[in-house]
Amino acid sequence: MIINATTLLRALGAGVLFSPWATWADMAPLDDEAMAGIAGQGGIYLTGDIAINEFGGPLQNAYFDDCTDASKRCGARLAFRVKEDGGWLVLDDLRGKFSFEGLTLRVREISDGFGGDGAEFSGDVLEIGLPNIVRYDDVRFKFAASSTARPTDVGFQQTDILSVQIQGDVVMEGNLLVFPTGNP
Amino acid sequence: MPRYRLQQAALLTLGLTFGSWSWAVGMQALDDSELSGISGQTGITLEVDLSVTANAIAYFDDGNGIRLEGFRVGSASDPGGPAYHQIKIDIGADAALNLDYLVQDRRIEFSDVRLVGSPQNSMGGVFLDHDMEGTLRITPGGALSQQGYTFDSAYSVRNGRLGYRTNGNEVFLDGVSLDVSSPGMTLDVDGNALLLTSPSVTGQYEVAAIRYSNNPANRGVSRDASSGEWLPSYGQLQGDFDLSKETRIRGGGRFGQQGLRIDSHTEINSANFLYLTNGNPLALRGITGYLAADDLRIDVAEDWLGRDALALTVDSFHGELNVERVELGSAGRSIGAVNVNFLFADQVFNGRQYTNALYLQGGGHADAGQQGLRLAAQWSLQLADLSYVDDGNRVIFSGLQSWGQGDVTVNVSREGALGGTQFFDGVRIGFEGLEGGYRINGLRVGDPDAPLQGGTELLLALGVYPAYDFEIDGHITLGAGGPSGEGLTINSDIRIRNGSAALIAAPYDEGQGEITQKGLWASELNYDMHVRNMTLDITDDGFAIITGEAWSTMDVGNLRVGAKDGDRSFGRFVIQKYEQGSSMTISPGGAGNVCVGGAGATAAACNASGGNWEMRGDEGITISLKQILARAVDDTRRNALTWETNRQLGPGGRPVNDTGVKLVLNDIYTSDGDGTDSNTFGIRTDLSVDVYQTRVVKKSDGADAAGVFGYRGDERIMDSGTAAGYRYVSNPTAADRANRPLGFAVQAHSRFKELSINNVDLVHPQGGAATAIYGVKLQNVDLRANLTATPIQ
Repeated sequence: MIINATTLLRALGAGVLFSPWATWADMAPLDDEAMAGIAGQGGIYLTGDIAINEFGGPLQNAYFDDCTDASKRCGARLAFRVKEDGGWLVLDDLRGKFSFEGLTLRVREISDGFGGDGAEFSGDVLEIGLPNIVRYDDVRFKFAASSTARPTDVGFQQTDILSVQIQGDVVMEGNLLVFPTGNP
Repeated sequence: MPRYRLQQAALLTLGLTFGSWSWAVGMQALDDSELSGISGQTGITLEVDLSVTANAIAYFDDGNGIRLEGFRVGSASDPGGPAYHQIKIDIGADAALNLDYLVQDRRIEFSDVRLVGSPQNSMGGVFLDHDMEGTLRITPGGALSQQGYTFDSAYSVRNGRLGYRTNGNEVFLDGVSLDVSSPGMTLDVDGNALLLTSPSVTGQYEVAAIRYSNNPANRGVSRDASSGEWLPSYGQLQGDFDLSKETRIRGGGRFGQQGLRIDSHTEINSANFLYLTNGNPLALRGITGYLAADDLRIDVAEDWLGRDALALTVDSFHGELNVERVELGSAGRSIGAVNVNFLFADQVFNGRQYTNALYLQGGGHADAGQQGLRLAAQWSLQLADLSYVDDGNRVIFSGLQSWGQGDVTVNVSREGALGGTQFFDGVRIGFEGLEGGYRINGLRVGDPDAPLQGGTELLLALGVYPAYDFEIDGHITLGAGGPSGEGLTINSDIRIRNGSAALIAAPYDEGQGEITQKGLWASELNYDMHVRNMTLDITDDGFAIITGEAWSTMDVGNLRVGAKDGDRSFGRFVIQKYEQGSSMTISPGGAGNVCVGGAGATAAACNASGGNWEMRGDEGITISLKQILARAVDDTRRNALTWETNRQLGPGGRPVNDTGVKLVLNDIYTSDGDGTDSNTFGIRTDLSVDVYQTRVVKKSDGADAAGVFGYRGDERIMDSGTAAGYRYVSNPTAADRANRPLGFAVQAHSRFKELSINNVDLVHPQGGAATAIYGVKLQNVDLRANLTATPIQ
């Protein structure tokens, strides 16, 4: 199964909204003028690319090898289980590359806007300025169910449920604001 | 011409106020055979076999005294023998006094330094061994008048040792060689000051080893008296210098009527310094700058707690140091250039006045024994700038300030438990009730007058917080000997209480005076750190650190956004770490040539793949890490992350720890992924860091706050010809790209075979722990990243 980047972004967005970190979070674009006009906030501007298992990982055994051996898997593998003595949910063969430009990180004061909520809040937030473009280059993984944590464990059996491949550009505008609210 | 040899022949005891002297001198006529060996001599030749001892030499200042006890001048190799001195004296036609001197096998030592007001404690003993040969010419007339003097001096020291001894343990510089030439020194009386100028002091030095002994039978020897083995060494030192100095000395201390005042200025015309282990250097080359002390006072006085001390207080101490090349490893490759300028002076921090004072006291750590050093210190670093230059690209960490007060103890200790305290072999530096802090205002790129920017959080990659308040107790013990041969072995237990560490920090002063420093703060921080058998040495490749065992608990009471003492918090975070056999190597040279956003080993191949070929130069830093996360041993030694919220409020409305709901990631560890307990691969990370031009694009259409217009996606290009210092360009040329803003370029490669989390629990204060996830295994991970981080203005 192949899904596009927009679908994944929607899914990720939903995840952010319902995460415990975003109990009072909102997105607000901040233009260059506004950014430069924020005094004393500091921060950094990040650009770059990250590749996951571009050529394979450090494990070489009956299951993993470098990406030149098509009979084996060369991506990363994440397994976890939610039931004691139960089976394992697996993200398998995870690899690919994504690039971004203009991810910013800073502390920002919110004292107005947001339909009046800003004045009510009147405090500082952690602002993650979303990058202009996030480019996905052959990002892929498999979702699976496994009998063991490792594919090299005795009695290993695995059922691959679906495969995901992401390719293309995602345009992201605005900021992710993380508000410290509630009872710490 | 009279010729005499003075030999030990009589005992003369002088009843002086500072104790009793015993020394031995005598005169004996030279025989014919000795006379025949002397020709063409003029003036007087004195040969002295000198052995001087004194129970104590005391100095009193306003009724307070300090005593040097067990004073002795004699042979270095024979504890009861004399030291040979030869002095040739000649008066020149210009009325100059010419002295040629030769000293052989001399030791100058004192066994204890005590303050008269607290005789039960000693600062420890010091010894100085040396052979020495030199000339001294004294002529009338100084720099200011004929009433002064001019000195031309040159001397060489060989077979030198300089040691410090406490409780039978000692650390010393061994095999010291020193050559110094200082012509044209002058001495004058200038008003109420004694003025000493040294227009040129040049020389070179070498320390063959810095040795440590825990055997009380050893007293300044290179080999252990019991085993005959070479004593372990911290390494070697080498260097040379070209200095100019001017010093004014006056009477009168800061406390009472008596004491000493010194004002000095030292110009470092050039210098080089090398620290070597097993022949591999850490070299600071091309050092220039100056050091100056204004109104340094020396008194015997009481500290702020009424303890007797030798007090060193100063109005201001300032200077600048430039290091042209910082080289690591045998190949002589450079990390880059560094520069620091600083001003220590009185300043108010957090509503409290701080000054710069050092009160030297005896005793050291209370359990270590009678001898040791206690430094009751207060410091006030009003301002410092640190800059780093990588292939001509300069970044300045601007506006560093620091303040603090507390006790630092120094003992030369040996391994064992005394009075409930565990000691280790080495020089123990202890911290007792030390309260302090520091903060950095921001970054400047290019030159010191550039606009202040954010970005100090980039220091987090080196484990340095942009701002930090702390209370420290604990110790760092520096043992001698690395993983093989020379080097350092570190054992440490540090406890930080009531700290606040900034993860992101805004400026504390934007030019209109001090403001509240905003940021992301780890507040109410309690941090326990323990290290065992961590070795440091310089290898062929660079600086190597190997940790035997290390564990820590970082308990962040509140993770705050905004002010560090604000009332809004993300909750409590507890990060526990436990590592065995981890290592780190710091090597010179950054990423070199890099294909960013593409693939290819050449510029053509990289560009053809859509990438950007960057030549980041020869300098920079590469850090190679291997982190072995060990399985949990107990509640303290484990890798875990706890997040707690919804805590009950206690006095002052502050949340009370362990009363809320916790999310616990418990027992996180690495392994080799083969189903056994093997854990040797760990998490391996290579980080190459360069200061380099970075691509910064405009994120929206229109003018920015500085009135510079551009469209979304335009690049910011630095241009000193514009009012704002930059402009936006849609399609930058090669010349434009050469003027991109400077930032940090990081090339990272991280990989591990297997990382596990034993369980993820949700813990309720009444209901207890409920496991949400029964195990996580992450396998076969390899991450490669090219990142650029640019400070935001």
